[in-house]
Amino acid sequence: MLPGVVGLIQATEVIKLILEGGVPLIGRLLLYDAMKMNFKEVRVRKDPECVLCGDNPSVTELIDYKAFCDVPLPGAELPEDIDEAAYGLSPQEFKDAMDQDPNAVLVDVRETFEWDICHIEGAQLLPLSSFDPVKSGLGPDDSIYLYCYKGKRGMLALKELKNAGFKNLKNLNGGIDLWAEEVDFDMPQY
Amino acid sequence: MSLNNEEINRYSRHLTLPEVGMAGQLELKEARVLMIGAGGLGSPLGMYLGAVGVGKIGLVDFDVVDHTNLHRQIAHTTSDEGRPKVESLRDTILAGNPNIEVVIHDTRLERENVLELFSHYDIIADGSDNFETRYLVNDAAYFSKKPLVSASIFRFQGQITIFSPETGGPCYRCLYSEPPPAALVPS
Repeated sequence: MLPGVVGLIQATEVIKLILEGGVPLIGRLLLYDAMKMNFKEVRVRKDPECVLCGDNPSVTELIDYKAFCDVPLPGAELPEDIDEAAYGLSPQEFKDAMDQDPNAVLVDVRETFEWDICHIEGAQLLPLSSFDPVKSGLGPDDSIYLYCYKGKRGMLALKELKNAGFKNLKNLNGGIDLWAEEVDFDMPQY
Repeated sequence: MSLNNEEINRYSRHLTLPEVGMAGQLELKEARVLMIGAGGLGSPLGMYLGAVGVGKIGLVDFDVVDHTNLHRQIAHTTSDEGRPKVESLRDTILAGNPNIEVVIHDTRLERENVLELFSHYDIIADGSDNFETRYLVNDAAYFSKKPLVSASIFRFQGQITIFSPETGGPCYRCLYSEPPPAALVPS
């Protein structure tokens, strides 16, 4: 419902610009919080140092916005690069490998709210947001089968485990989303 | 430009408001608004702009209607699943008011097409969902000297403002000089 409220305020401002009526939201940022049910207004000013509309602009034509927005996390260590293809299995391969593996431990690295929507039976939940290979309770001889929503977070957890010395690691390509399409047809998708 | 009898009847509650009146209704009819995004924000935005009689509405979006859109993108209905969002929203707007023109741009907004697209409109309304598009739209609106009515939502909060450096206000870059690290951007 949030976009309804916000979209209609936006529509109101468009109409006011056309009619040149009222006090437009220029120089004011309106903040709406649906949970607190309040509106706040923040004064916003033109920045004389602005690279676009400031006194000495450096952006004088359109730029490469994809590159501009691809900002790395400050101080983030790049995880050791590994051959992801060697660790990723398709949903069917993942299931077959697990079924034949007596040491298989299935680990879900999504967050709790996602686990509550659906999860693979027999899995244990170790959310990536607080993932710590040492405190995970996983053993060095375990065959660890990781999955997440689409496959990306599982691979991040896999790299952490590999760096911590774990050897037998697999990740579910496409995550639980693809699992629902190719293996477990009763599994909901979200 | 004038209103026909059906339009006079349709907009009669506007025409009797001194703040709108016949002159204002004709200004609405002459107005050309380009909307970026035909999703959560674009649905109510487009439906109301159309209903009140904005004469030309442009819709830009490259996406198709997905089942998970339906709970919030109210211009799209269950039978629209799989259709381009711009087509679905256009049909909803025109069902509400067939007197106006809705132009669809079933394309991704890029630096190669944005300035040409903007040249056909007077006001830009951004309801996009990513930073790349926000910066692109901001810069293009500035170079085109057109006011940008900007809205965004995240979880339970929304932000709305008008970027109009031409009239003394800030632009998007004055508020957000750098995009956030890509890894922190929710998808």
